[in-house]
Amino acid sequence: MTSVKNSGYRKNFSLIVLFLILISVLFILSLFLAYNFSKKFIENEFVSEKVKVLESSIKPYNDFFQNKLPEVSYYNGYLDSATTSRFVDTLLLQYPFVSQVNFYDAEVGSTPVTNGLNTGHFSFGPKYIYQFGSLVPADSVKIFSKSKPGKFSRGDDFMTLGFKLISYIETLDTTKAPNADELFSNFSIVRSNKITYLNIPRFEDLKVYKQMMRTKLKTSPVYQQDMLSFFLDPYKIKIINTKPKLYETIRIEPLTYDPLDTSSDYSTTEITLPGPFSDYKLYFSSANSFVDKAVFEYFLPIALIVLFFYAILVLIAFLIYRNLNINHRMFKLQYDFVNNLTHEFKTPVSVIKIAGNNIKSAASLTEREQQMYGRILDEEADKLNGLMNKLLAFTQIENKAIQLNQDEINIVDFIESTIESHQLKYPDFNFTYEVNGFTSFVTDPVLLGSLFDNLAENAYKYSPVSHKFLHVTAKLIKGKIVFRFTDRGIGIPAPEINNIFKKFYRIQNQYNQNGSVGLGLAFCKELVNFMKGEITVKSKVNQGTEFKIVLPYND
Amino acid sequence: MMNGYKKFLWFALLPLWFACKPGKGKLIPVNDFFKSQDKVSFALSPNGKTLSYLKLTDKVQNIFIENTEGGESVQVTKLSEKGVGFYFWVSDNELIYYKDKQGPGRQSDVFIIDKSGNNQRQLNDNAKSRMRVLKDQLIDNKYLLVSSNKRDSTVFDVYRLNVRDGKMEMAARNPGNITDWITDSKGKLRLATSSDGVNETLLYRENENMAFTPILTNNFKTTLKPIAFAETRPHTIYAISSVNRDKNALVELDCNTGKETRVLFANDTLNVVDAQYSRNKKRMAFVVCETWKKEKFYLDDTVKAFYAKLDKLLPKTESRIIDRDKAENVFIVRTFTDKNPGSYYLYFADKGVIRKLSDFNSAIREEQMSEMKPISFISRDGLKINGYLTMPINRPTKNLPVVVLPHNGPGNRNTWGYNAEVQFLASRGYAVFQVNFRGSSGYGKEFMAAGFKQWGGKINNDINDGVNWLIKQHIANPKRIGIYGVGLGGYLALNSVYSSPGLYNCAASNSGVINLFSYLKAVPPFLKTNLQMYYTIIGNPDTEVDYMRQASPVFHSDKIDVPVFIAQSPKDQWVNSGEVIQFVKELKKKNVNVTYFEKDKESFPIPNEESRQHLYVALEQFLDVNLKKK
Repeated sequence: MTSVKNSGYRKNFSLIVLFLILISVLFILSLFLAYNFSKKFIENEFVSEKVKVLESSIKPYNDFFQNKLPEVSYYNGYLDSATTSRFVDTLLLQYPFVSQVNFYDAEVGSTPVTNGLNTGHFSFGPKYIYQFGSLVPADSVKIFSKSKPGKFSRGDDFMTLGFKLISYIETLDTTKAPNADELFSNFSIVRSNKITYLNIPRFEDLKVYKQMMRTKLKTSPVYQQDMLSFFLDPYKIKIINTKPKLYETIRIEPLTYDPLDTSSDYSTTEITLPGPFSDYKLYFSSANSFVDKAVFEYFLPIALIVLFFYAILVLIAFLIYRNLNINHRMFKLQYDFVNNLTHEFKTPVSVIKIAGNNIKSAASLTEREQQMYGRILDEEADKLNGLMNKLLAFTQIENKAIQLNQDEINIVDFIESTIESHQLKYPDFNFTYEVNGFTSFVTDPVLLGSLFDNLAENAYKYSPVSHKFLHVTAKLIKGKIVFRFTDRGIGIPAPEINNIFKKFYRIQNQYNQNGSVGLGLAFCKELVNFMKGEITVKSKVNQGTEFKIVLPYND
Repeated sequence: MMNGYKKFLWFALLPLWFACKPGKGKLIPVNDFFKSQDKVSFALSPNGKTLSYLKLTDKVQNIFIENTEGGESVQVTKLSEKGVGFYFWVSDNELIYYKDKQGPGRQSDVFIIDKSGNNQRQLNDNAKSRMRVLKDQLIDNKYLLVSSNKRDSTVFDVYRLNVRDGKMEMAARNPGNITDWITDSKGKLRLATSSDGVNETLLYRENENMAFTPILTNNFKTTLKPIAFAETRPHTIYAISSVNRDKNALVELDCNTGKETRVLFANDTLNVVDAQYSRNKKRMAFVVCETWKKEKFYLDDTVKAFYAKLDKLLPKTESRIIDRDKAENVFIVRTFTDKNPGSYYLYFADKGVIRKLSDFNSAIREEQMSEMKPISFISRDGLKINGYLTMPINRPTKNLPVVVLPHNGPGNRNTWGYNAEVQFLASRGYAVFQVNFRGSSGYGKEFMAAGFKQWGGKINNDINDGVNWLIKQHIANPKRIGIYGVGLGGYLALNSVYSSPGLYNCAASNSGVINLFSYLKAVPPFLKTNLQMYYTIIGNPDTEVDYMRQASPVFHSDKIDVPVFIAQSPKDQWVNSGEVIQFVKELKKKNVNVTYFEKDKESFPIPNEESRQHLYVALEQFLDVNLKKK
């Protein structure tokens, strides 16, 4: 028995330990790999995410370039200083990187102009020039007027775009309408920190412009053109750090910025700004500790997930271990039971065999001998019968194979007959009773009898010789019948109290060395359950035990 | 397998289809509404012996003639690429026709041709100038009076064109401001109108050897439209005039004094839109007044009897005489109602018989069309606004999805009669609502002037008041109102969705104006004199930049948040298509549901049936999704 137990136990245990070691190794390995991966990933992100920062930071500029510039054309040359001033005000508010706007209210005509460009009979010159901006003083908004020519430097934006306009009209194909992109690129100049835009005239007007270069038109048409120069300040671009956990600082720096004192404590990267800001770049830097924090923040959820799976595996290992343990104990109980049962059967059988041998070998039997052998045989046969009945009834009850009889019984008569039969067997058994609240009820008398016999038997068995006492009370409480069996026996130790109703369980002590299979109380519990009742127990060691049985009251 | 499945599905859905549309059969196909006519532009030769019309041969319009008494039709022109756009008889034997434009930058070629199809000669030599025939009658059997801008593209001089050798000699030189020339019954050039852009002056001369003298100057808000010279009295013309009155009247005008000598027809509530002079009887026959529909008021009992006889032959329909012979015996009559696009008839007055020539659109069945009801309501500032409401047939008259249809403009109006667009929308289950908002013509000078510079302002208020009136009448479902228009109607549709947020669930614009600045820029060089008038009606871009900006949808893409449908031809001269595309892009960036439909990709300037059908199918889907399903 011991060898079976030990070998099975050790084998499982070592397997589980091996399993735990393996998954622990795996756990540590995956944590290690995850950390390395996080580190590599963050390093890559540091280089690649700058594009996103650039995209979102430059979005207002793109919006300005694609949506606001064409709006100048919507006015078709009808812009005046008041409208432009309001237009610029909204621009300055909406796009902080626009610092100043120069507005050239210009005319295309066929009479030569002194301040402007002339080619053939095509002239292009400003009527007024205004400058708008938050830093422009109110008295210097208007900086040029055709009637009062002031300073007008020939190298400025007006001339540059004017030349572009003239060369475009020179090469214009009048048979085919130009597409929007072609027009846009020919009516705007993007230079460092500056965009100049001229409203795009209709194709019909462009054709007239071309004619004007070749011939003098009789009608001397005059066309209004609006040119706006936007001065841009790259340092006013609002940097949107889309990855604040990755980049500690982002600055706008000139393209040539390359600090000598870049210590190894910092990671840096850069990206050039587009369009008019192309002399500048976004410069990203983060302290290494900052990057490490980002790595850790990235690593942490991965580690938690790995840990979670590890925990589940450990839990499963534990559950397997526990189930193996329980199965092992069950196995042990059944093994004990077979041992006990064999022993129980062996005693009466050997007594019967000895009695039989004695009768066979005796030449003659005296009256007293015959009486003795008869009694012995009868008793031992009864014992065997009782054992077998008990085993059989238990199996039946457990499998619900028997039918419940419903007979009305008189409770006083029933208890008295039980007391009588027990006192007949054990004359020293002090068996008392008390009935309150009812006289009879409906139940199965055989099952109830088994219940009473078992509990009375136990009370007698587990009591010291001087205290063979049992008091039974039967009461009707709240529509239920409550039986209490109180003895003054050895009691049940608290740790065992939960086990006593288990099959084949026996408390190891001097009282049950013979004639007990550990079925009695398990049988009682099955009986009570079968009768739709409940059984509970209260006990104090060396003072006594009280079993309480609650049964439904069927009148 | 797949086919079988589809077939099954179709059968499964069939009962649903009927369940959804009780008492209604199949939808009338889009194209049925917009079918090109088989034969158009019927005309009679001056002697009334020959009938002519335009007919498609291989998708190209050619002139055909036949004997009015019946008989075989003969093809006169044999064009194969560009068809005939417009034609008329100049003698019993000769016709003049304008070819369709060759493309942008080229003008129409003008030809003269014998009715036999022989002797075809091109009349205009300069591809860059435009030529207009002033009088559809040959003088001395060889001269044709035409106006042409060949000397200066911005002004039209009058020439005597010899149709025999194509030589042109100047009949009158335009000092630069003459906008129209009018001849008397003998083809003598005796009246002209000049314009400085805002004011219009009527000039008169007794005979062609004298110089024109100005007799009367009017603001363009005032109508003075010469109808005919009074042949019985010297220096006298008949004219439709609103001088010193709100509504147009028919008056007799002394050309020496410029004074009205007699009022032939005037009424405080009726506005004269047309008048008919009988060359035969040498007197005014009737005037046409338009209230909710056009009605004739006879000035001559014999004319009245004549039309009574005609009405008996053509009962329960409107009829218009569209051409007649010189003797006023043979007539071409066009009939129509609001539910019927109508037919062409030939009418012989002496015999009192009538013969049907062709149906305007044979695919339309009158019983499937909806009635166009005149309605009126009072605007928020107390003005009576008229309009039309077309309810879909076989549908409940309450809580309907509504399509508001602002008319194109300026100086335009909705009229009663068969309208393919209206009937198409009504057949799709929409109540179609047309408003003659202030600024519409036909309701007097004051009403017209009330709409000046009110684009996006009181004009929109009038439309919105109409919509609210419809909601109050429980006709409109306030959650299913869309607005759709063409040209300035499209402009009003787009303007409404940002100036009256919440009222319209969607807006559709067909060649809609989206920028008033560009609209004014588009006034072509030869309409230079009209520019001041446009400034008065639309707004002055030099002085009213703010108003124009506020009223132009292109500046307000950020305020539009309902689904928008924009159909645009890239070659439309009134709209800068680059701006439209930019506008659509901005709306898309804002995640506004925009449907952009580029139309007439190949067929500009004359839209063909196919491209028109595509447009209306797209429009139908757009309205379906936004007015029915949501």
